[in-house]
Amino acid sequence: MTELADHSTDYGVVAAEPPEVMARNLRIGAHLWASASAFFFAAFLFAYFYLRALDSTAVWRPKHVDPSLTLGTLAAVSLVAAAVLLRFAVADHRADRLNAWRFKGAIVLALLLAGVVLQIVEWSTQSFGPTDGPYASVYLGWTGLLSLFVVGLLYWVETTLATSFRYRNTRRGAPVPAGHASGDGDRSDPDIENPLSLIRSELEAVSFYATFLSGIGIVTWFVLYVL
Amino acid sequence: MNFRRLLGYNLLTAFVLGIVGFYVGWWLGHQFSGPSIAYFADTGQNDIALFLAYLVGLIGFLSGLGFASYPIQRLLGKPPSLREKETAGTGRYFTLCTDHKVVGMQYLIGIGAFIFVGGLNAMLIRFELLSPTKQTFNANNYLTIVGLHGTMMMGMMTSGILGPFANYFLPIMIGARRMAFPRIEALTFWLLMVAGVILMTTVGYGGFPTGWTGYAPLNDQANMGMDSYIVFFALVGLSMSLLGLNMIATVVTMRAPGMAWGRLPIFVWSVIATSVLMLLAAPVLISTLLMVALDRTAQTGFFNAQAGGSPYLYQNLFWIFGHPEVYILALPGMGILLEILPVFARKPLWGYRLAVTGMLGISLLSWLVWQHHLFVSGINADLRPFYMLSTELISLPTGFIFICALGTLWQGRIRFTVPMLFALAWLFNFLIGGLSGVFLSDVPSDVTTHGSFFSMAHFHYTIMGGLLFSFFAAIYFWVPKMTGYAINERFGKIHFWTMFIAFNSTFGPLLVIGFLGMPRRAVTYAGYLHGGNTWVSISAFFLGGSMLVFVGNFVWSQVFARVPVGANPWASKSIEWQLPSPVPVHNFDRIPTFGADPYPYGDGDGAGDSTAPRVVTAPARPRP
Amino acid sequence: MRLQGHAGRIAALTVVGTAIVLPLVIFVLGPNMPPGHRTTGASSQVNDNTVLLVVMTPFTVFILAYLAYAIFAFRAAAGEELRDGPPIRGHMPSQIAWLVVTSAAVLFLAIFGTAELFASNGAGGGEGPKPIAKPSGPVLPVQVIGQQWEFTFRYPTYGGVETAELVLPVNRQIEFHVTSLDVIHSFWAYELGVKADANPGVDNVAYVKATKTGDFQIRCAELCGLWHGYMFDTGHVVDAAQFDTWIAGERKQFTPVEKYLPRYSVTYSPDPQVRAG
Ligand code: HEM
Ligand SMILES: [Cu+2]
Ligand SMILES: [Cu+2]
Repeated sequence: MTELADHSTDYGVVAAEPPEVMARNLRIGAHLWASASAFFFAAFLFAYFYLRALDSTAVWRPKHVDPSLTLGTLAAVSLVAAAVLLRFAVADHRADRLNAWRFKGAIVLALLLAGVVLQIVEWSTQSFGPTDGPYASVYLGWTGLLSLFVVGLLYWVETTLATSFRYRNTRRGAPVPAGHASGDGDRSDPDIENPLSLIRSELEAVSFYATFLSGIGIVTWFVLYVL
Repeated sequence: MNFRRLLGYNLLTAFVLGIVGFYVGWWLGHQFSGPSIAYFADTGQNDIALFLAYLVGLIGFLSGLGFASYPIQRLLGKPPSLREKETAGTGRYFTLCTDHKVVGMQYLIGIGAFIFVGGLNAMLIRFELLSPTKQTFNANNYLTIVGLHGTMMMGMMTSGILGPFANYFLPIMIGARRMAFPRIEALTFWLLMVAGVILMTTVGYGGFPTGWTGYAPLNDQANMGMDSYIVFFALVGLSMSLLGLNMIATVVTMRAPGMAWGRLPIFVWSVIATSVLMLLAAPVLISTLLMVALDRTAQTGFFNAQAGGSPYLYQNLFWIFGHPEVYILALPGMGILLEILPVFARKPLWGYRLAVTGMLGISLLSWLVWQHHLFVSGINADLRPFYMLSTELISLPTGFIFICALGTLWQGRIRFTVPMLFALAWLFNFLIGGLSGVFLSDVPSDVTTHGSFFSMAHFHYTIMGGLLFSFFAAIYFWVPKMTGYAINERFGKIHFWTMFIAFNSTFGPLLVIGFLGMPRRAVTYAGYLHGGNTWVSISAFFLGGSMLVFVGNFVWSQVFARVPVGANPWASKSIEWQLPSPVPVHNFDRIPTFGADPYPYGDGDGAGDSTAPRVVTAPARPRP
Repeated sequence: MRLQGHAGRIAALTVVGTAIVLPLVIFVLGPNMPPGHRTTGASSQVNDNTVLLVVMTPFTVFILAYLAYAIFAFRAAAGEELRDGPPIRGHMPSQIAWLVVTSAAVLFLAIFGTAELFASNGAGGGEGPKPIAKPSGPVLPVQVIGQQWEFTFRYPTYGGVETAELVLPVNRQIEFHVTSLDVIHSFWAYELGVKADANPGVDNVAYVKATKTGDFQIRCAELCGLWHGYMFDTGHVVDAAQFDTWIAGERKQFTPVEKYLPRYSVTYSPDPQVRAG
């Protein structure tokens, strides 16, 4: 109909998109999502310092409101360790040491899970509840949401790991049946060139996000336990 | 009719699963017990149950649309894929569809419907205010109506232009076939729809008394309807944040060859400036609302002064989000304005860089002004001069937009089409909105105008006179491209003139009435304001009537008359008009290469009156 | 030159329009701007409103004149609708001029607003517990307590007497202390030009000095729940003698109930460990 497009053009004529596009999308997406998450936690940071400075009725932090430093430190350490290990895993993947990456990836999952479990242990053993003043409020809200984010990260790491496992016997560059990735049986051409082509970029993206989240973990630990 | 199709992923399944999920969550919430939630017994309200009901209901609804299958497949190790199946036909409008053009249409109709609901509430408010004392609605219902109106409008209009028009046209404008994250794109839309329904269910739980700002500690004291507000706004925030993320990612990564930053259509720049705010401000809102939810369910003390918290904290956090939100509402309108003016003045955009600077400047400055909403609250009173300055500074970048608009008209050949009329009206309305804003930014003057109908009329001039007018401009301008059918021009003009006159005759007097001492959100007012209010109410009903003209015209033109428009009814030179109407599923046969900005009017190609684009070079069409 | 023709005519329209509107603004509209001249704070607000209007007038007239002119002079002639206009993509001098002029206006407004804020002791607005703009002489403190859904008033210099009515002596500097017992309210005395939010646990101070006697409206200006719309009242500014007799009467009524009320304090807070409903 016009120079640029026509309704009658067959879907198959549209060239399949090169995987670099998705790779770049994932990278920028991870950065943007990290900045949004930063603002999310910034609100809690703001609340912390605001209420601490205000301390209007001198109940900011009664004596018994004292979460266990050991458990908190362990939780933070496991998050940081997971992020560091993931970096090494990415390096392994770059160097084509796929078994090494999968092994490290599994440990990362375990570490993240451990962090969440430690946090839950902490909540169930601590000597205060949500009604014990502003510090307790900030503490519970913040750690709770951070744990949710860690669970999300866990999921994300798991998906790349699972893809890598599922295709562990597939040759690099092997052709994929049409519509394989999206499960769209009507597709006449592959909707993804190679199921493995995106693992690296996704891994880089998730590793960036993990590093970011471990940064949040350190801030959390410092603000809630040390300050 | 093939009834088996009804069993697939579609809106019907979604509703069924959503309702089932709601009751599952509700039941689950009632299984909790514990010392800190013993208060259920004496108030008869269970906030935990309602939150869980909304949450599980949301999950059910989204699964019914097909959103669950991709994450589960990923969990099982299927590779990331580009997008879901894109079928033709109407069915795709009622399910998860990742074609950005389908999402754009879904947004247009979905948001339109909720804005209509918000508008009906406005009519009810104005009906009540016909009398200074007599009560049509009881006190609680009146507050709920005011809150529903404001919250619905704020929540829906934030995506009012980005949702329908940026989703549809932004990829096309930058020469892409899709958005960066098509599935997220679809998610933003459905989140918003669920949110809208949730907000309306507040009526069943006693409504909420706080207006759209939801101030603490009233929000803590309120009954269960408050939870609907919280969930609504949190979902809107999530939708907004993801929408912004998707827009920025798309512009960064999906531009076609030759589409340099300096060649982006100005509308795309306005989308970027808006998206940055959406991406970063909405998370603050979500955090804040989660704190409110914790205060209400787990009895934490974030905002409770007696428990060591602070209502000021809520006000700060809310407006740290809230002021950027205000510009999220204003910026897309500026983009539409500057996108439409060149087409109908047949001139390039005047001062492209200045306009871009203006938009980015507004985006940046809007983070620094939030306490101007709190001038008389007693917060940080010594910072008032700073906030007065920063607020007034925003009028500089806003002034850039104005001068660019005026410059574009200079020596143009103006055609007064319906979209152009709305664009010109934007200039007039936003001028008044901006001038009234100067009073609010001046601390001594704000002492009287704060919390009055003056400020209410001010923000209606900016968001209704600005955003809603540009929303209509965009509809008249772009819908023919989206559907392939013209919108009747004669009735379009009737709609414009009735709306423009009724709008000014409603909100102009409200500026005065507010200055004369009428407070916001109050169901009674002083007797001496009765005459003015009657006038305003009657004008508001005309304003409502003009919307009916629009709806009638729209439905008639698009559903019954169906006059095809061809590819380029406005003789525009930008790329979306060089495609067939409606745009084919794949947008471009081949990705185009851009050679100039989209405003090459009068650039000496031929006699200066050519409508050929000269912006893009299309590679030869591939032969199948 | 044609171009100068357009510019010249728009400039002429702007100048003539401003010359007509400005005197009207200064002499007719300005002095009659709300909220009137019954207190020092209100007067300084009127003053501000007038100055703002004056600064805005030339800009408004320019933009409207330009728009009107453009609509008439730059409309496409019949048959010429699709001819392109000249490819002008900007004009540095006018961009710079616009930037300079608007910046000057903005800076002036900010400086003027700040100066006026201090000169008028906060212009009747709430200034928090530690006001930065305050009068130097003696003041009469009056506490305003917001609660759902009424205002009550206490006079600490008169034994902390609590009254249901607000009565103020004329020509004395008043120091309002606004606070709340539950949610946020806002104390708005329209004719006095006073508005200050009532926050629980916060002492929000506002200054005003009434220069004329008479009644004034009091309204709550912050949504505070169910009966917010009914939270209004009438206050009175009276001369010194009337005020003295009134307050004496109030104190007499107050003595027997005094012991049931908390002692006067800038804020009132129930036991922090006990949840309010
Ligand atoms: C038919 C057109 C409209 C009319 C007649 C109308 C009327 C009103 C009135 C009378 C109020 C004040 C209620 C009160 O404070 O007592 C109000 C509040 C409000 N309106 Fe509208 N409105 C209209 C359209 C819109 C639009 C298009 C938007 C936004 C896009 C909007 C956003 C708001 C907001 C945010 C509030 C504040 C609610 C609150 O105080 O919490 N309105 N409107
Ligand atoms: Cu603001
Ligand atoms: Cu109130």
